[in-house]
Amino acid sequence: MAKRQLAMVMDLNKCIGCQTCTVACKTQWTNRNGREYMYWNNVETQPGTGYPRNWMESGGGFDKDGNLKDGIIPDMVLDYGVPWDYNHDELFGKAEDNILRPNTDPVWGPNWDEDVGEGDWPNSYFFYLPRICNHCSNPGCLAACPREAIFKREQDGIVLVDLERCQGYRYCIAGCPYKKIYFNPKISKSEKCIFCFPRIEKGLPPACAHQCVGRIRFVGFLDDEDSQVYKLVHKYKVALPLRPDFGTQPNVYYVPPVLSPPKFDEEGKPVEGGRIPMEFLEKLFGKEVHQAAETLLKEMEKRQKGEPSELMDILIAYSHADMFRLDENYYQEIAAKQGLKGTEYFKLIDERYIQGKHTPKSEGIYGVKYFATQPAKEENGEGH
Amino acid sequence: MKRFIKTAILGACCLTLSVSAVASEEGLKDFNNREVINAKYTKGAIPSDPNNKLWEGIKGKEVSLYPQISVRLNDKKANSLIPKKELKKATVKVAYNDKEIAVYIRWKDNTPSVQPVYDTDKFADGVSVEFPTEFGKGKTLPYIGMGDENHPVVVYLQKVVAGKDYQKSFISEGFGSLTEIKEPVQIEMKYNNNSKEWVAVVKRPLETDNTDLKAGLVPIAFAVWDGDQYERDGNKSLSRWKFIKLDKYPLDKEYLSYLSWGYPLGKIGDPVRGKKLAVQNGCAGCHRFDDQQTAPLGMAPDLSNIGGIANPVYLKESIVNPNDVVIRNLNLNRHYNKYAKPDKFNAYPNNDMYQWYIVVNGKKQSKMPPFALNEKDLKDLVSYLSTLKDWKNFK
Repeated sequence: MAKRQLAMVMDLNKCIGCQTCTVACKTQWTNRNGREYMYWNNVETQPGTGYPRNWMESGGGFDKDGNLKDGIIPDMVLDYGVPWDYNHDELFGKAEDNILRPNTDPVWGPNWDEDVGEGDWPNSYFFYLPRICNHCSNPGCLAACPREAIFKREQDGIVLVDLERCQGYRYCIAGCPYKKIYFNPKISKSEKCIFCFPRIEKGLPPACAHQCVGRIRFVGFLDDEDSQVYKLVHKYKVALPLRPDFGTQPNVYYVPPVLSPPKFDEEGKPVEGGRIPMEFLEKLFGKEVHQAAETLLKEMEKRQKGEPSELMDILIAYSHADMFRLDENYYQEIAAKQGLKGTEYFKLIDERYIQGKHTPKSEGIYGVKYFATQPAKEENGEGH
Repeated sequence: MKRFIKTAILGACCLTLSVSAVASEEGLKDFNNREVINAKYTKGAIPSDPNNKLWEGIKGKEVSLYPQISVRLNDKKANSLIPKKELKKATVKVAYNDKEIAVYIRWKDNTPSVQPVYDTDKFADGVSVEFPTEFGKGKTLPYIGMGDENHPVVVYLQKVVAGKDYQKSFISEGFGSLTEIKEPVQIEMKYNNNSKEWVAVVKRPLETDNTDLKAGLVPIAFAVWDGDQYERDGNKSLSRWKFIKLDKYPLDKEYLSYLSWGYPLGKIGDPVRGKKLAVQNGCAGCHRFDDQQTAPLGMAPDLSNIGGIANPVYLKESIVNPNDVVIRNLNLNRHYNKYAKPDKFNAYPNNDMYQWYIVVNGKKQSKMPPFALNEKDLKDLVSYLSTLKDWKNFK
């Protein structure tokens, strides 16, 4: 169990589905070395099949008694969708002889059902749901790994895969109810969102949060009462975990999209209440969604009357400095305590919980022993 | 005081061991027939090519490989296929010279599967063998599932993965403890399209940093994976311990009589009475076996096919002295305690009920108590357990 826990809050009322977060993540982490098909961050349309296809019905997570449930492993072509390209080169100067066509016959892809949603005009509806790894308090992936290669960092609760121990068995993928851990077939190991820990340790928020043009993402420690994350989750209780019924205690929270446009009646007149059915939001965010909606609407009304509302000020997201509270000194203190200095500081990220007494240990410059889990050697071309 | 009691129990166990150490002629014959692989000595080099002529001149031994169901993994599709699986048979041969030993394994697989370079849900066929790091006179057998804390094993693994030679050596002390090591091992695995069989040869020096196989009787166990059945990791078929006989080295009589305890297989006692004993002694409170399927899933290893994968002497020891072979749980986080108080980040602690051991002074102790049965009871019980070779009820 982690001593501290980083968390992210996403305000779904403000997400415009621009995928800037997706691109920020992809260019930072997943555009190479067998990760091409993965979207550690994706933005899907809900109601919809999501990414990977039908992830909500793919099993994993825990039953009501706390026992890990069986799950399936999505198919690369049919469920994730493989990236395809177009024959632009063939078209240059020869546009009369050629037509634009993809280099493969695409059968499925992320956002295949983008903006489809549900309902009939004029009351059709959908919203965007950005998703990263939830860095759960009881992670399904971690529980499922027979090698115990997945661990939760004590200092901040970030869930990572120890690539030295991972043998590519893929039970983690079956065990994660959010299907946010992926198999890298090139290195035959599992990989996932790392909450941009190298950025976090330097005091920067994850790339997806930093680049978000709608400024919908807040990042901070859940035990830091001055953080906006704390206020949204604990003080106002308007930020809720996705599918809490999966039983993994996610640490990414969502401000539910309760401020949707009104419905129209048969005469085309607007009707009280949002267009997105509360039953659907309850399925996604649990029963607490009703209380959250009430608080949000009440505070919004206050602000409309010109009264002060801390909650609305937070959600307006005035400044990055308030939205992200990461405290880089916190990490440097931990490094110093372990006797790590300079470039050795980065070994901190490899200080992982490991079982095997055969895992070699190295001596730090102050004589402190730590596990050397990622030696420089690259074997069998499995480098990453 | 506690230590005293433990010593007393151990003493009692040793007594049982010595009483039953004399194996009958018939027992030895049955043991040899079933479990012993006669290695062929050759002066020359041993080729690692499975198609080399050398192998044609060596008599093979048939080895049965049972689906692994002692622990249950969480892949829905893979689990749904297990009850339909057939018993696998492999032909194994062993050759050795003064420096090296090679193990030949041939088994039927109508659908050769190679793990592709670009896919998420396809798995590779594969093969592995394991050797205990220590064996011989006075050494008890390791847990068949990759060893245990008191009995580390070395494992050699070959998988068919496109684009690379996926060959690994490990040292292991039970589930989840597999740690990669460097061993001078060569493995070649080839598919024969005519006979629809895989053939593999695992070749290594007789002596490595971790194991010395220069002995009259060397324990070895086998496992194969069928990628088509979503097999990987513990989802596989495995043999019980087999023993390679190397004529060039002295055979320890005491070790032989220790290993051959319980043979002729299933005939040393009364299995019907053994089943009654199993029920009376409350085995079904934690284990699932036969028609006893009420224990909570994951509470203890499933014993439904224990007779296929465990040798009688191992069964005896695990009853009278379970602390000698403490089996490491599969990842303890698979069960968390929803009725305990969660921490400030809503994390629930693990459910201790599902942990198979307790840690005393840094040493694992089995939660299963030693059962001090008399020799007749023990023989009846082991006879019964040896008959358990079923996996059709796997859920």
